[in-house]
Amino acid sequence: MRFHVVLRYVAFALLLNSFFMGVATTISFFNNDSAAMPLLYSTLITALFGIFPLIYVPKSGNISNKEGLLVVVISWLSSCLVGSLPYLLWGGVFSFTNAWFESVSGFTTTGSTILVNIEALPDSLLFWRAATHWLGGVGIIIFVLSVLPFMGIAELVLFRSEVSSLAQESFRQRARNAVRILAGVYLGLTILEVIALKLCGMNLFDSIIHSFATIATGGFSNKNSSIAHYNSPVVEIVIMIFMILSGLHFGLLFTAVTGNIKNIFNSTITRFYIISMLVGIIITSLNLYGTNYDSWIDSLRFSSFQLLSLGTSTGFATADSSVWPAFTQLILIFFTFQCACSGSTSGGIKADRIVVLFKSFIRHLKQLMHPNAVIPIRIEGRAVDDKIASRAVSFVIFYIAIVFISTLLLSLLGIDSYSAFTGSAATMGNVGPGFGSVGSVGNYSQIPQLGKWIFSADMLLGRLEIYALFIALTPAQWKKSVSY
Amino acid sequence: MKLKGKILSGFIILVIMLTIAGGWSIYELDNVGLTINKILDENYKSINLSKRMTEDLERQDSGILLLMLGRWKEGREILSKADSSFNSNLNFAFNNITVPGEKVNLDNISASYSAYRNLWEKPIVDTDKEGNFDWYFNRMHKEFMKVKYAVQQLADLNDKTMYEIASAAEQRSNRAIMPGIIAVLSSILFTVIFVYFVNYYVVNPIVNITSRVKMFIEKNRPFTVEIETKDELLELAESIKKLCEYESARVNTK
Repeated sequence: MRFHVVLRYVAFALLLNSFFMGVATTISFFNNDSAAMPLLYSTLITALFGIFPLIYVPKSGNISNKEGLLVVVISWLSSCLVGSLPYLLWGGVFSFTNAWFESVSGFTTTGSTILVNIEALPDSLLFWRAATHWLGGVGIIIFVLSVLPFMGIAELVLFRSEVSSLAQESFRQRARNAVRILAGVYLGLTILEVIALKLCGMNLFDSIIHSFATIATGGFSNKNSSIAHYNSPVVEIVIMIFMILSGLHFGLLFTAVTGNIKNIFNSTITRFYIISMLVGIIITSLNLYGTNYDSWIDSLRFSSFQLLSLGTSTGFATADSSVWPAFTQLILIFFTFQCACSGSTSGGIKADRIVVLFKSFIRHLKQLMHPNAVIPIRIEGRAVDDKIASRAVSFVIFYIAIVFISTLLLSLLGIDSYSAFTGSAATMGNVGPGFGSVGSVGNYSQIPQLGKWIFSADMLLGRLEIYALFIALTPAQWKKSVSY
Repeated sequence: MKLKGKILSGFIILVIMLTIAGGWSIYELDNVGLTINKILDENYKSINLSKRMTEDLERQDSGILLLMLGRWKEGREILSKADSSFNSNLNFAFNNITVPGEKVNLDNISASYSAYRNLWEKPIVDTDKEGNFDWYFNRMHKEFMKVKYAVQQLADLNDKTMYEIASAAEQRSNRAIMPGIIAVLSSILFTVIFVYFVNYYVVNPIVNITSRVKMFIEKNRPFTVEIETKDELLELAESIKKLCEYESARVNTK
């Protein structure tokens, strides 16, 4: 284990962070706001920590799987740590716990916030907040890989460590091409949405903030009432379209855009994703009509936005879903667990795993009836390796177990069980808002300090898809060879 | 980069971190000091003046009551002194306007005091107003309360501003502390990383070179050392290698 080599690659992630902090600093000096010195100092500290390993450690294009995994985990943790510096130095409501929570929420694209009054923050700090989303959305390491020249085997190792195995399955491309596709689609969608929102009447700053949050499926708005602030169906439609696109596998989007757009619907996973969302929207609209909304249009408008927001793990809000009927809330909770497709910026269990889980169940039923039959799980005509299928099943089990354990721990701290459960599900799935006291118009400010640390751990576990963090933090694992 | 550059860069980075944090902490602490001065000089002064004006008004009220009892000389003396003191304090307050809204407040005090003064300036003793407590409570006391309320508003305004400035000072002091804490923690972490790198890239290679030279001398083993970096240590290793090869060749030809 060459710790110095690991530090060299982590340094690139820190330099990327410092670049965006530098942009926020420029905004701060331009606006002459109170975050200038905090951002400047944070930029310098981060840049210095980023430059130093590059001075000492020579280039190394060859890293092991273990080293790659450690690079990913340390990059994420160190980014969250340096990301909290601007908040900590600015002060106000930002204690260390609050600053860490907000930073982790940003980088993991969860979108949960401890802020009661978001609009009290200076624009520069709001930009940094949104930038943490954008950096974390596609993955800090992917960003680094997309801007650095070819790095040899290290590139493949880092790509495999950062991108989930499920997403890699669908990416039938070399790592270098896959990185380019991911970064290209990500950037392209962001630019398109900025233009679209600007045309809808949003000012440029708000367009950038909300585009960062949409494409990263993060949900940090710079308005206290989130998207409801604009009260504009056009804005909501644009954001919904981009939320749906951000929930699709980026490789699929790329091939659809460069080839035949109909290719998107050839994918079983995509069809499941879109159909499940449509069914969810219809059911919730029906349930809300006559109860919370008197008109069909309103019922459809608000239910579709909320469902898509939670179902893509974005977390924007146009209504207070905490006061909706229990049935609708339960539907939304399901989508909080499922979320969108792998290979997108979405969190949650992922639609792919839900499909694999369902097909595993069907296969098991068939095997009970025909014990000697060989029944592969097929997705899009291709047999899914048994290892992938069993990993998907065990992932779902671990995922739900972690949500359950978090709920238990949080309820010990005095948080009501509904808020604890939905908050755990929302943070684990990197969705953002849960229900109860942490609902779509609420925040996490009233959660006890220890509760915020538990939620932060959930966010990181969810974003790093559980295994990476556990392996990195378990010294015993470093003695064995790791296949991930 | 050369060895000297690498080691120097480590110290430079440390110095930069500490200098900026120190400079910023000093700047914020200085601002805290200025803020406290501001609180004492400006807001506290105005609150003090408000207190004195209230006392002057109370004395005037006592003077008026003496006039109501027919004690002209004592009453007018008290009124005259209190009036003079009130006007003096009001002038001080006008020269100490520091808070938005204070001028409006003071104008209000001035206007209501004029109306109040008008009432007691006119003769009271040996008129129908002497002993007429109905007139006192319905006219005089009402005007007295108006002025007193206006003066109280001045005190409240400065009180509120003082509280806001004190809160801002508290936040500034937190801002002064935080860079210091972060600088200390960053420096500790940086030092750990620096020491690790120096150990791995400077100390270890020197130790390896030394042990390989010893093995060459004692056991005639070939001198082979892997140096990852392209700096003076690589040059040293290569020079020693050439020396060892030359020595081996010389011994072999003998």
